[in-house]
This record gives sequence, C-alpha cells and structure tokens, in this order.
Amino acid sequence: MESELIIKNLHANIEGKPILRGVDLVVRQGEVHALMGPNGSGKSTLANVIMGNPKYEVTDGEIWFKGENILEFSPDRRARMRLFLAFQYPMSIPGVSVANFLRRSLEAIREGNKPLEEGENPTGKATKRKSIPPGEFRKMLQEKMRLLKVDNSFINRAINDGFSGGEKKRAEILQMALLQPEIALMDETDSGLDIDALKIVADSVSALRGPNLGILLITHYQRILNYITPDYVHVMYDGRIVKSGGKELALELEEKGYEWLKPVEEPGTREGHQYISGNVVVPLAGTRGDVNG
Amino acid sequence: MANALPIGLSRSAVEELSRQKGEPEWMLQKRLQAWDAYERIPAPLGRRGDLGTLRTFANFKFQQLSPYVPAPLAPARGATTLPAVIEQSLQEALVDARAGLVVQRNASVVRTELDEQLKKAGVILTDLDSAVREYPELVQQYFMTKCVPVESNKYTALHAAFWSGGIFLYIPKGVEIEDPILAQIWIDSPASANFAHTLIIADDQSSVHYVEEYNSSFEGEQPSLLDGVVEVYVKSAAHVEFSSLQDLGLNVWNIANKNAVHEKDGSTTWVMADIGSKVTLANIGAGLTGNGSAAELVGVFFTDHDQRYSISTLSNHDAVSTNAETQVKGVLTDDSRVEFGGMIHIQPKAQQTASFLSAHILLLTSIWADRKCRAEAVPGLEIEANDVRASHGATVSKIDDEQLFYLMVRGIPQDEAERIIVQGFFEPVLQRIPLENLRARLRRSIVRRMSGAYETEADTWVDAQERWEVEGVDEYAVSLDTPKEAEEILLTDY
Repeated sequence: MESELIIKNLHANIEGKPILRGVDLVVRQGEVHALMGPNGSGKSTLANVIMGNPKYEVTDGEIWFKGENILEFSPDRRARMRLFLAFQYPMSIPGVSVANFLRRSLEAIREGNKPLEEGENPTGKATKRKSIPPGEFRKMLQEKMRLLKVDNSFINRAINDGFSGGEKKRAEILQMALLQPEIALMDETDSGLDIDALKIVADSVSALRGPNLGILLITHYQRILNYITPDYVHVMYDGRIVKSGGKELALELEEKGYEWLKPVEEPGTREGHQYISGNVVVPLAGTRGDVNG
Repeated sequence: MANALPIGLSRSAVEELSRQKGEPEWMLQKRLQAWDAYERIPAPLGRRGDLGTLRTFANFKFQQLSPYVPAPLAPARGATTLPAVIEQSLQEALVDARAGLVVQRNASVVRTELDEQLKKAGVILTDLDSAVREYPELVQQYFMTKCVPVESNKYTALHAAFWSGGIFLYIPKGVEIEDPILAQIWIDSPASANFAHTLIIADDQSSVHYVEEYNSSFEGEQPSLLDGVVEVYVKSAAHVEFSSLQDLGLNVWNIANKNAVHEKDGSTTWVMADIGSKVTLANIGAGLTGNGSAAELVGVFFTDHDQRYSISTLSNHDAVSTNAETQVKGVLTDDSRVEFGGMIHIQPKAQQTASFLSAHILLLTSIWADRKCRAEAVPGLEIEANDVRASHGATVSKIDDEQLFYLMVRGIPQDEAERIIVQGFFEPVLQRIPLENLRARLRRSIVRRMSGAYETEADTWVDAQERWEVEGVDEYAVSLDTPKEAEEILLTDY
C-alpha cells in the first residue's frame, strides 16, 4: 500500500501568532501536488510543521503518516519514516563535508523508525547503526550525482557553505535523490533561481518523479509548473487551503492572481473543514467547529 | 630518597624541600623569595560581574595539599617501572616516532630518554633538578627571570617556591630536531600539589617540535593541584612548535602560566588543547621582543559537567616588524563556564606590526536541549604604535536551532546533530594543528565526551573525517575502484 500523508484541521502558531488556521490535505506516494499561494499565506510554515520544527506550536489538528499520528515525533524520526523536506533556505554547516553528512544521514534513514520504537533513544544510549561501507556509499552518491549532473567537487565541500543559491537547491535535490523519501515537501525550490538553474532543478525533480515518490511542491510562482506538471494544485490563503483543482488551476492563478480567492470571513464562523484528496473535495466528518478569528 | 612533605604550604616546607633535594644556596634563596612573594601578592579575583572562575580558585583549599609528593619509586635514571596506566598512555601518546621523552609523575621525573645523535650534537634533555646541579649558569639565567618572572602573579610565585621535577631542554645553535620530543606529566596522587616546570631554550637557528600532555589517574573527590609553568626562549631565527593537551581528571585544579620570548626572527607555533580538569586558569603569552619575530597560537577547548576555565592570551609586540595570530575555538556544554580574554598589546616601538586574534565560543544549549553553560569572551587591543595592522574578534553564540533542525530533518538524532555541528565548528582550527595524532585524539575525545555512551559512533565519525581528509578530492575517482579490503585496512590502520 502506498504511503499517505494526511493533514487534518492543522492549526499552528509562531510566537503566539496563528499562521495555520485549519489545513486539510492528503498527499500520496506517486502524486505531485503543487501548493500555491501568496507570500505569508503559511505554505512554508506548513512544511516546517509537518517536519516538526519546534519553533511552531501546533494548537490543533493532526498529521498522519503511514497510519501513525506523527505530531509528537521528533523531526529525525519523521525523516526516518521517509518524509523529506527540501528547504527554502538550506542551512550552511561550516566544516562538515557533504559526503560525511550524507553518509550519516543515509545510515540514519536506513535505520528507519526502529530504534525509537525500541526505546533506545533519546537517552543517549548507543544506537548500533549499521554503517555503509565507504566504497558502496561513494558509488551510490556518484550515481545520483551523475543523474542530477552535480559536480564531483560538491562532496568535499562543507554543507551549503559558500554555495550559490542554485547550488544549494541542487544539493537539496541531491539529498532527496539519495535518501529516497516516500513523501517529499519541496519548499520554494524554484525561488531565487534564474531560468537556467530553474530548468536544471525542474529536470532533476522530473527525473526523480515516479510511483514511489509523492511530492508537495510549494511555490508562489506558476513558472516551475511549466516544467513539472502537477497532478493537483492547491491554493493556500491566510493559513488555509481555499481552493483545490487540477493543473489548470495554476494557469488560472497565473492569469487572475490570488486576490479573488480571498475567503470571506464571517465573525464566529469559519468555512467548513474540508478533507481534500487531490481535486476531490469531501466534507470532513467529525471535525470541531471551533471559533477562529 | 626524598620523602613526601606533609599536608600544608609554609616557608618551612619550602626549606625542607630544598634541603631534601640538596639544592645550592641560590636556589633555596630563590624559593624563599618566591614564598614571600606568594604571601604578599593577593590572589587575582577577576572583575565584578565576570563568571567567577578566579574567585573560585582563590577559595581553593591550598592548605589541604602536600606540596611535594615524589613518585613512590626512586627516580633512577633511565629505567623505572611505571604504573600500567602511564605505560599504556605512552603507547597511545600523541607522537609515534620521537626524538626524546620525559615522564614526570607527581613531583618526580621518572623517565628521560634522548636520541644519541642529538646528545652528541649537544642537545640537553634532563629533569630540572639535575639541570640545577649540572647547568647552574643556564638555570640561573633563564629560570623564571625574563619569560615567566617569579612575581608574575600569586600562583607563579607559589610555583617558584615549590617547583619540583621539571623539564629542561636546550637545543644548541643550528640544531634542528625533526621528530618531536614528548613530555608527559602525570598526577596519580590525591591531595597533592604539583609544580611541573618546563624550560626550553632554543638557541640561534635551531628548531624543535615539543609536545606536552597533562594527565591524571587517581580516583575520588579529594582534589590535587597542578600549578605549572612553561618558559620558552626562542633565540635568533629559531623555531619552536609547542603543542599541549590538558586532559586532567575532574578532581584536578589546574593553573598554567606559559610564555615564550623571541629574539630576532624567532618564531613559535603554540597549540593548546584543554579538555580536562575541574578548574583551569591559563595565561598564555607571546613576547615578541625581537625584530621580525612571530607567534602563532591555536587554542581549542571543550568543557562539560561543572568545569570552569579562565583563559587569557597576550600577544605582546615590543619590536619592529612582528607578527602574531591567535585563533581560539571552544565549545561548552552542561553547566560549564568559560571566560576568555585575548589581549593584543603593541608597544610604541613595535612598528610594522601585524596582529590578529579571533575567539569563537559555542554553547550547546538550544530549543531542544536547554543547558546552563555560560561563556564570555573579551578581546582587548592596546596600540601605542602607528604603523600597525591589527584586528580582533570574539563571539559567544548558542548552537543554531535551525542548523540542528536541518540535520534532524535528514534523519539524524538531535544529540548526534549537535556533535556534527561541533565537529564542523572545530574542524577549521583542528586543521591548523600540525600534529596529526593530536587532531585525531581531540576529535575522538570531544565526540566521546559529548555523549558518554557513543563509543562506536565516535569512531565512525573520526574515521570518516580522517579518511576524507586522507583521500581528498583528487583521489575520489580512483577510490571508487579501490577494493573494499583496501579501505578496511585504511580504517583499522588509523
């Protein structure tokens, strides 16, 4: 059975300020969803909350992945379940080479969810991790680098340190290729790229696309969708998904902008919670009709 | 054979020590004057609002220590049986091939070895007690006079009153010693005060790599003291590379006063790594008193539990066209505290000077793991000449929550993510340590200390780091075809 990421009525704050105000979304393996919306609508917050960034406080709702409610799981555990986030602003970590980091990351991901279930962590007890022989690791890495046309010198550089914007985005996709997630969130992977870099990144994503990978492609430009055709398009506005549709919705947005989608709020009520699977909009049974301002 | 002195520091204890050693009158007088200075000079207390390390040290119970605990076996020259732990550590020492060796255990030098060729060339490596007898004129001229004067502070005075054992190294004109000389200072007796002294004189155009390790191996809460002094005289166009690793137990209080004075075109490279001891008070100096002299200082520290460090560096430029570069990096975790003060002083006559200092301290406290560690870094700059390039920078920062998040999102648990960031933080400064074994040892110690139970994982990381370093970019393509066995060998060889 394919993996499913199910987000139900998700509410989240940063420093007490509500950003997500009831997000409902389902992404399955093999599907490509585009999540669009103006700046500040909560798209990046959603990606961060799905991965468990403690900067954000989840005040309501659920996140299910592979049949488990992952809200209480640490980010690393979520990643080991093969959820992936390609960051909008990848952090540079001086002094740590890409190769070293990726090998440890891959070793950790391959461990899967097990160590935590057995209660070995987080007490700091030794995780007896199966190490990947360096030769084998290099072969794997080089294969992915060839696929994504990434230069060899990448691996000995420090993670994202001194990387150009385009290099950072490509390094994220290289990681994605290596770690083989089941669901990948790609946060503004197209932002800050010139048209050539955009094409390279889009080609890379297309190369990884397949039945085993579900993608949530977060963007506020229609541009990248000229290269990556989504199965579904969602529009986020003010912390909620206000419209979902097929790929033609992206073109409509390109024409009309986002303003026409601005929800009309009535005091004391809220638009009905929706359980959205692709372009099928279903009313969600049993959600709480809480007041939201 | 000498006997241990009873608990307590006093003038009569100084006299008794000198008498037991059968010292000449001048040394006795030097000790007594030092004792008087110790009684006269107030303990340094730091400044209001600092983290209190100096005040903590001022309250240390010096009077509950014995100022002289010689090694149990008579320090017969050459062969002495050493405790297994010391023998073991010699096996795992920071240097493989060495030109000479000195082991000091508590108050006694218990082993001295020097390459025969070097002996013939006139190199002297001996304990300081012997040097007092055999080379009195050298000791009188250099011992705690210009480099670390007796009255530098209260603790140097105490050191001068009670110094014992000690290492004396003289390298004659033009002699270049290739393999390093290793010194190990061991404390394995509780309630002991140890005053290890290192005196190095590198004559004109000579060079030496000298490595010093400070270790302890006794159990229990009852603390011991190491109040050490290192003096390095760098003569005209000589070069001294001095590396040290302080890995004392948490029941040892540690004072280190180290200085080098340079003549014309003399240069030093200091590497100071501190990861041990309960409290450390370190003053590291570079006296650039010869025209064209240069000093490079690389400092690394890591503290955990309730360790307290106060580290001060001084680049003192007092001649034309001198260079100094100080780079310090440290990481704190748990409840530890560190105060760092880095001073650049450029005297009026020190024109055409270049001096740089950077100190960066990382606190392992984050949104994931809230810890109480604290640090302050205070750079100081005093410039009295006008043809000068100087800069200094010091930062104290917490480990970055977003960096941790980034690594965790790649599947790496939080504590391991911390270690990766710390390794990356240290890596540039570790690269500047010439001694490969010291680099490796530091990596290993730091990674282990950060987790307690991660033995295998620490090895994985260290091995990986070393391996990438060894193989580098150029060999990348080649190593793809390297059979697995070859790589395994590389791993175990390390």
